[in-house]
Amino acid sequence: MSDYTRELTRREFIRLAIGLGIGLAAADRVWQWFRVHNDPLAQAAHAETSGPYWGMVIDLEKCIGCRRCVYACQAVNDTRTGHEWNILIEDQDTFAKPVFVTRPCMHCEHAPCVDVCPVGATYHRPDGLVAMDYDRCIGCRYCMVACPYGVRVFNWEERTDENPQVPTWGMPEVERRPRGVVEKCTFCIHRLDAAAERGLRPGYDRAATPACCVICPTEARRFGDLRDPESPAARALKGRQAVVLRSELGTNPRVFYLLPE
Amino acid sequence: MARLQRLNRFWVWVGFLLAVIAFGLVGAFQVFTRGLAVTGLRDGVPWGLWITLDLSCIGLSAGAFSLSAVTYLLGRESYKPLARIAVFIGLLGYSGALMALLLDIGRPDRFWHAWVFWNPHSMLWEVTMCITLYFSVLLLEVFPMVMELPQLARFTRLRGIAHRVHRFAPVLAVIGLGLSLLHQSSLGGTYGVVIGRAALFRATMPLLFIVSAVAAGMAFTIHMTLLVQWVGRRTLVPNTVLFEVGQLIGAVLLVYLYMRFWDATAGGYGYVPGRTEADSVLMEGPFAVSFWGWEMILGGLIAAILLIRARFRQSVLLLTVGSGLTLAGLVANRWHTTLLAFTQPLSTSPALTDPLVTPYTPAWTEWATALGVVAGLTLVFSFGVRYLPAFAGTKVEQTPAVPQVAPGPEAGLASQAK
Repeated sequence: MSDYTRELTRREFIRLAIGLGIGLAAADRVWQWFRVHNDPLAQAAHAETSGPYWGMVIDLEKCIGCRRCVYACQAVNDTRTGHEWNILIEDQDTFAKPVFVTRPCMHCEHAPCVDVCPVGATYHRPDGLVAMDYDRCIGCRYCMVACPYGVRVFNWEERTDENPQVPTWGMPEVERRPRGVVEKCTFCIHRLDAAAERGLRPGYDRAATPACCVICPTEARRFGDLRDPESPAARALKGRQAVVLRSELGTNPRVFYLLPE
Repeated sequence: MARLQRLNRFWVWVGFLLAVIAFGLVGAFQVFTRGLAVTGLRDGVPWGLWITLDLSCIGLSAGAFSLSAVTYLLGRESYKPLARIAVFIGLLGYSGALMALLLDIGRPDRFWHAWVFWNPHSMLWEVTMCITLYFSVLLLEVFPMVMELPQLARFTRLRGIAHRVHRFAPVLAVIGLGLSLLHQSSLGGTYGVVIGRAALFRATMPLLFIVSAVAAGMAFTIHMTLLVQWVGRRTLVPNTVLFEVGQLIGAVLLVYLYMRFWDATAGGYGYVPGRTEADSVLMEGPFAVSFWGWEMILGGLIAAILLIRARFRQSVLLLTVGSGLTLAGLVANRWHTTLLAFTQPLSTSPALTDPLVTPYTPAWTEWATALGVVAGLTLVFSFGVRYLPAFAGTKVEQTPAVPQVAPGPEAGLASQAK
C-alpha cells in the first residue's frame, strides 16, 4: 500500500492541525512585526538629540472623547475658541465603533515647518521639541502651509475674547500671543522648563507634565522621556502597537497613538 | 483741439485710477488696523488672493530679465526698446509684489527680519532675498530712463551717474538673469517642497513656474507695448521685433504644455493618495474652468497657435489676443495652484482639522487692496509711458480704430536713435 493513498490517522491529523495552527500564529507574529511601522523606543534611541526624548503616547483604546484635554489646553495656554492647539477628531473603526483621535503638535524630528520658516522663528530646541519665537515671526504663514497635520493656528486679530475654559479647566500659564503671529501646541514647555529648575520630573510630577496629560481621566494620554523605560509614556507602550500619523512622510513625530486591541 | 481732448481723456483715466486707489487704501486701513481677521483667509486657507496677486506680479515681470538677456547678452540691439519697457514693467511688478506681501504678512513691521535672521533652508527666505536684490537691480536699470526726463536736466551729476549705470546694462542683465532664474523657480519650489500637501509636492513645480513666467512675462511686455502704441498712437517697438518675440513665446508655451503633459502623466500614474484626488478636483472639480479653459486651452494651446500665426499673418490683432490670453493663463495657473492646495484636505490623514473642502471667498478688503495695488501700478505706468523720453516712440499719423500693422522696423529704430 502506497504511503500517498492511505488516509490520515487521527494522530497525524491532530499533529497537522496543531502544526498549521502554530505556523499561522507565527506567520501572524511576523506579519504583525512588519505592520508595526513605528517603534517609538527605537526612534527615541536613534534620535540625534541628547538628554531626554520627550514623547506623548495617546491610547485610542482608552480615549473616551471627553474633550478634557482640549479644554485644559485651552485654559492653560489661553488659546482662542476655534483656534485650539489640541483638538478632538471623532472617527470610527471598520465596525462603526467610535474612535477618538486627539491631536496636539507632533513635534516632528524632521519638521517641515522648521525647514520652511524664512526667518527661523520656528525651530528645534536642544531637546528636539519644536518651538516658536513669537518676537521673530513675521506672520507669513508658510509654516501653516507646510505642516502636514494642520496643527498651526494664526492670530488673525488682537485678542479681546474671554477664555470659556477659565477657570473651570485651569488658569492661563502663558501670555496671549500678539496679533499677526503663528502659534501651536508647545508640549507645555513652560512646565517642562520650570520643572528642571525645581527638580521635578516631567511625566511623573503633575506640575511638570503637559496639562492635557495631567487632566486625562482615563490615563489615555501619557507623557515622558522615551529613553527612560520607567517613564509613564514608555510603560504605556509596552506590548502595544504604536502608530504615528502620516508616517509615510518621514517626519518622525513624537506623538504615538496606541491602536485599540 | 485734438490735443486738449487727449489731455482730458488722460486725466479722466488718472481720476478713475485714483478712485480705485482710494478704495484700496480704505481696505488697507482696515487690514492694518484690525488685522487679517477682516480677510476671507482662515487657518485652513492661510494663503489666497494676495498670494495669487504676488505670484502673478512676479511671473508677469519675468519679461524684464528674459528680454534684457536677449538684448544685452545675445546682442540683439533691435530688442532694446522692448527690453526697456520690460524693465519698467518689471520694476512696477516687483513693487506690486512687495506691496501684496506687506499686506499679507501678519507683522508688516517685521518685514526686514528675513535679511537679519537667515534660514537658508527656506524657499521663502531665498525668494525674499532674491526679490529684494532684484528689485534694486531693476531700480538701477530704470534710474537712467528717469534721468532722461528734461525736467531733471539740471541735475548734471545725477545724469552722469545714470549714464555710467546705463553702461553697465549688460552686467545688470547678467545679475538680473541669475537672480530671476533663482527666485522665479524657487517660487514654484515654495509650493513644490510642501511634503504634507499632495497637490503641491512635485519636483516639477520650479520648472513649471519659470517656464510659464518666461512665456507670460514676455507676453505681458508685448501686450502692454501694443496697448500703449494703440492708445498713444505711436510706435515704440518695431513690429518685426514684436512678431519675433511673439513666436518665441508661442514656442515656450508649447514647451510648457509638453512639460505639463508629462508631469500629469508620469507624476499622476496609478493611485497616489491625495495627489489623485487633487488632480481630479483640478481637472473635473471647481477649478476645471480655470485649469482647462484658461491655463491649458485659451492661455496655452490657443495662445501658442495665435502667437506663432501672428508673424506669418503679420497680424497685430492676433499678437494682442495671443499675448493677452497667455498672461491670463498664468494668472489662472497661480490662482488654482494656490487654492487647490488649501481648499482640499491635507491628504488621507486622520488628523485633519477640516476633513471637508475648506471654502474660501476673498473678502472685500482683499479685493479692494488688490485692485488698489493694480491701479497704483497702472497709474505709475501711465505716467511713465506718457512722460518718460524712453517711451516717446514715433507718432503714427493716422488713428487706427483697431490694432493694425504698424510702420516697419525702421520707424521704431529711428525713435531710439539718440
